Amino acid sequence: MPTIETETKYGESRQVGDLEITPVTRVLKIHKPGYHAGLIWNRPKAVIVKTSDGKERTLPVTDVTRLIIWGMLAGGILGAIMIRLIYRHR
Amino acid sequence: MTDEMNTTPTGEAGLELFQNTMEEFLAAADVRVVYGEPIQHEDTLIIPTAEVLCGMGFGVGSGSGTSAEQNPEKPSQGSGIGGGGGGRVLSRPVAVVVASPEGVRVEPVVDITKIALAGLTALGFMVGMMFRMSSGRRALPEIEE
Repeated sequence: MPTIETETKYGESRQVGDLEITPVTRVLKIHKPGYHAGLIWNRPKAVIVKTSDGKERTLPVTDVTRLIIWGMLAGGILGAIMIRLIYRHR
Repeated sequence: MTDEMNTTPTGEAGLELFQNTMEEFLAAADVRVVYGEPIQHEDTLIIPTAEVLCGMGFGVGSGSGTSAEQNPEKPSQGSGIGGGGGGRVLSRPVAVVVASPEGVRVEPVVDITKIALAGLTALGFMVGMMFRMSSGRRALPEIEE
């Protein structure tokens, strides 16, 4: 059985003016024990912004392209089901 | 011929090469791969972000043996090593982090080409489905009583 592992990683913080920015990523690792093979999917998750007064804010990094593509896929499947239902009832 | 497998110096070099490749592959899980080198423009800092998908696999083997078939008095020795592998790294921009003293914002990167291709595929699927349904109805034989 391949091992599937997810991990949240925090990068080095950077100072911009009074703000401290920390990048966060989400890593998915798939590896089959005993085999020299694997897959790594690393994607940005969020940016943590810390102000000088100690307030912390998390800005999510949204993959708009993926959202639209998945939306289109869902729309296509729904459309196909609707077409099938319409033709069946005629 | 012996079944014993051992690692020759060439084999060790090969294994080291594969080990290094594996280490480079594992480096794809690092935060620095996703968040690119920041670009400073006056007070503003721009950090490009991308998603990285990396897949790879390899195998290596070595062996040696002796053969006394041709000359039983002086058996010949031989060894060999073989290996192979493959992999692919895909990277796609996701967003840009714009940080200035006024604040931080995340600007998404929209891949119009990819969206258009997905849209055309979905549309083609739906049109194909419609065509199939309508032609299927026409092809049905009529039942006469």
